[in-house]
Amino acid sequence: MVNLKGTLPTLILEALMDEPCHGYRIAQTIKERSRGVLDFKEGTLYPALHKLENEGMIESYDSVEKGRTRRYYRITGAGRTMLAKDREHWRELSQAVTMILGEA
Amino acid sequence: MFELHSWLEQATRHLAKDSAAQVHAEIREHYESARETAIAGGATSEDADRQALNALGDARAANCQYRRVLLTSAEARMLREGNWEAKAVCSSGWLKRLAIGMPIVMVAAATVLFLAGRAAFARDLLIGGVGMSLLIAAPLLPINTPRRGLIFRCAKWITVVGAMVLMFGPNSAKWSWLLISCLWPLAWTEWTRASIRRKLPVKSWPRHLYL
Repeated sequence: MVNLKGTLPTLILEALMDEPCHGYRIAQTIKERSRGVLDFKEGTLYPALHKLENEGMIESYDSVEKGRTRRYYRITGAGRTMLAKDREHWRELSQAVTMILGEA
Repeated sequence: MFELHSWLEQATRHLAKDSAAQVHAEIREHYESARETAIAGGATSEDADRQALNALGDARAANCQYRRVLLTSAEARMLREGNWEAKAVCSSGWLKRLAIGMPIVMVAAATVLFLAGRAAFARDLLIGGVGMSLLIAAPLLPINTPRRGLIFRCAKWITVVGAMVLMFGPNSAKWSWLLISCLWPLAWTEWTRASIRRKLPVKSWPRHLYL
């Protein structure tokens, strides 16, 4: 299990790239895509979602599914721009770390 | 369910009513989904409850994070009560007239004192008068963007601290305890408003949040 402190907002944006999701689906997507390596306490997912929404990176709407009202989140244009920047930053960082560790 | 209720109670401590209701709804929805998945995977009802609750993690940690992004009860009260300084001044007619008249009198007195040759005292009065007029005129100024609000707040604090320093002169350091006590309520209000500004999208800011 890896602590993903600080990277959760980026992972949320990535999980929302394909389609709008509700909170539980977002948590499962992150866990499934990392094959269980990235794990986090799900109670901390929603504060991160609220923060992203306050910053205009995502927006939410209510939808009824199987008779139950669920809150869905979708990525905004600003969120896509932010995600592209985060991806580039991560690529540079991981290349740099790989270069150092590769030499060791 | 009792455990979930107590988790929610802890996670929503000191949050405003609306924020707490929002947290209750989203966590209950999440919990139900996690529970259904666990039961579909073959878990008993008790196991499903336990797994769903464990997945949520520590309620106190969640509370800390929620308080950073959602309005607390103190912040919601401040939003409801609005601009208390302006309300206090406008609550009585004579106080309102005094607040508007004071800077005019101070600037006029500064001019008279300057002509009478008492330049140092005149300067202090002029700065005080200009500073006061800036604060009183604030609601009338077109401060309606975050950038203008920031400029106004910087000007306000420079004026307030500058006026205090001018008032006490070289003894400012000695009287710093008095300055800090006087400015504490203002600083606390400013701090709370800054926190609210971080939590609310700009389009939902009421007028007094800019000032």
